[in-house]
Amino acid sequence: MLPYDLLYGLMLFLPCAGGAICVALPSPRQILATMCATVAASALVCSWIVYRVFSGGPAEAAGGLVYVDALSAYHLCVMMMVFVASSLYSWGYFLKEAKAGRINRRGLRQYAGLWCGALAAMTLVLISNNLGIMWVGIEATTLLTAFLICIPVRPASLEAMWKYLLICSVGVAFAFLGTLMVAASASGLHVNPSDTLLWTKLLQSAALLHPMLLKTGFLFLLVGYGTKAGLAPMHSWLPDAHSQAPAPVSAIFSGFMLNAALYCVLRYIPIVEITTGHLGWSHQLLVLFGLVSIIVAAAFIIFQHNVKRLLAYSSVEHIGIITLGFGLGGLGTFAALFHTLNHSICKTLAFFAAGRLGQTYGTHDMKKMSGSLRSAPVWGTALFGSILALIGVAPFAIFMSEFQVLKAAVDGRAILTLILFLAGGSVVFVGALGHAIAMAWGKPSPVVELESAGIVEKFLSFAPLAILLILGLWMPAPLLSILKQAASVLGANR
Amino acid sequence: MNMQQWLELATVLLFLTDLVMLGLSELGACIRMVAIQGILLGLFTLIAREDVLTARLVILGVVSMGLKGFVFPFLLSRDIREAKVRREVEPFVGYAASIVAGLLMLASSMWIAARFPMLSAATSSFVIPVALSTVFTGLFLIISRRKALTQVIGYLVFENGIYMFGIAAAGEIPFLVEFGVLLDVFVAVFVMGIAINHINREFDHIDADQLSSLKG
Repeated sequence: MLPYDLLYGLMLFLPCAGGAICVALPSPRQILATMCATVAASALVCSWIVYRVFSGGPAEAAGGLVYVDALSAYHLCVMMMVFVASSLYSWGYFLKEAKAGRINRRGLRQYAGLWCGALAAMTLVLISNNLGIMWVGIEATTLLTAFLICIPVRPASLEAMWKYLLICSVGVAFAFLGTLMVAASASGLHVNPSDTLLWTKLLQSAALLHPMLLKTGFLFLLVGYGTKAGLAPMHSWLPDAHSQAPAPVSAIFSGFMLNAALYCVLRYIPIVEITTGHLGWSHQLLVLFGLVSIIVAAAFIIFQHNVKRLLAYSSVEHIGIITLGFGLGGLGTFAALFHTLNHSICKTLAFFAAGRLGQTYGTHDMKKMSGSLRSAPVWGTALFGSILALIGVAPFAIFMSEFQVLKAAVDGRAILTLILFLAGGSVVFVGALGHAIAMAWGKPSPVVELESAGIVEKFLSFAPLAILLILGLWMPAPLLSILKQAASVLGANR
Repeated sequence: MNMQQWLELATVLLFLTDLVMLGLSELGACIRMVAIQGILLGLFTLIAREDVLTARLVILGVVSMGLKGFVFPFLLSRDIREAKVRREVEPFVGYAASIVAGLLMLASSMWIAARFPMLSAATSSFVIPVALSTVFTGLFLIISRRKALTQVIGYLVFENGIYMFGIAAAGEIPFLVEFGVLLDVFVAVFVMGIAINHINREFDHIDADQLSSLKG
């Protein structure tokens, strides 16, 4: 159907065009406004496609190159939420930075252009049916977001950017080696060369793939995309990049880029499971990486001084929980998808708050940010609330999804997994709560300027908390059906 | 010589470029060696498949030869000129030890390739071990050399190994993907060049081992 081909084209074309316009505009306000408008327009197109997929089933377009099913549509939703919120937030954030003279017009143009480019690349990852093109999209996000980290250019941010660029490029190149092995495992099928890497084709004939090559390929894919997703022990770039990047960039990194990389691994799971005869081989690997991430993150969270590094390690923990959920399968898959949404909402808010408080205090050192509830009521509350939600305080939605992951572990009789998960979770709870209380109620340190939060900022800080609270108490029927559809793509209802 | 022998000659030459690169001490010479490896890879693409020489492989071979043999080396040598750094590689692991490591990597690649005989089905049995040991050589260069620029060279070698593996083992990769990958690598080299420029301006050196202020 031609109109839909056009829509998918528009999803990629809009951000690219918007980014190109941003680069040519003269004033900071115009640049940021164009950027927000571009993201909003892409979100509209995207929601139409998502609506169509959830009401009418998976959609294929562009001669099979584009394929959107419930899993990708769900991730598209999460991506658009994170991008729309972060674009709105960067309006206030960067106007303030520009006023303080920390960013000039050139930096802002670079920021807006790369921001829109990153949106296009992540969209490409999600709508692509060809696993090779999906890889191209992930590598493109690495290259496009690298310079977002060093805005403004400082020695520390350059160091973080170099580590990010090199570690992620090399890691993701491993994933390409894995993709090639998957292609080689399909060489016995004798399909048309242009169809070799199509996900739909591979899934159809998964039983005929070469098991050993596919398994080796999956190991490479897991390590490669896992590097980008921030799974321990490949996470070493993550705390540096997240702590040095401007707050909106940290928000899309944690809020969606990690999930996009994990999504690439998820695509291979049904194929691997069919080929290896549903023995849960890939699931066990996911459980292993998930647990290692949770424990490593817990160990590091206790000793953090910088609030953004704390949040970065918390992302490692949560990606670990999501991976663990997918590894447990069944209810765990459902819980992991739900947790993806909750974590993205909450972490985005946490980085927003940390960024604005950082502007108010002139530092991200938690010792110097004490008493934030009094000096900056709106963002102080937002930070405290989001950290509470992140460590799993009831009745926020994150508590519910973590509880479901626990239940999946109990159902699967995975006692050791259960114990390790609980231990990691408790360490994070105690460690992060200590930091959060000191920041919220400690002796207020003198601040340069008192916070003045506009209506948009108040909305941005309280709406996510409200959503998390509502989702924690009541699961709306449409969301339930969306989550179930997405989980069934991964074979959870079998 | 028949096609098979030409292919084996190209493969052996590719492995020799790996070894030479491990033993070279001058940055400029390293870049020239990456260029030679890129040209060899382009030729390799043209003769890798005995069966037929499709238009797809010809275009791919020519484009990748152009990029890897000429464009990337040009970008890298421009980076050296602008950074005005000492032209020595400054390895953490000595040159002789590096070459021994290169031979060990070939041995382990042969062991790995022997366990996956189906990968070599369509081509000479030398190709997969050399492709894998090129991948390892790239990783080794990234880890064992001090300058950010040598890390980029290592990344290119690593990428060359993966490309060679792809041509030999999974020859049926769609066109679009191959070009997407080449484009990504091109942008990566470009972006890394700009990054090195920034690093040089801020720090007055491009020693990646001194980029260590962020910890914990």
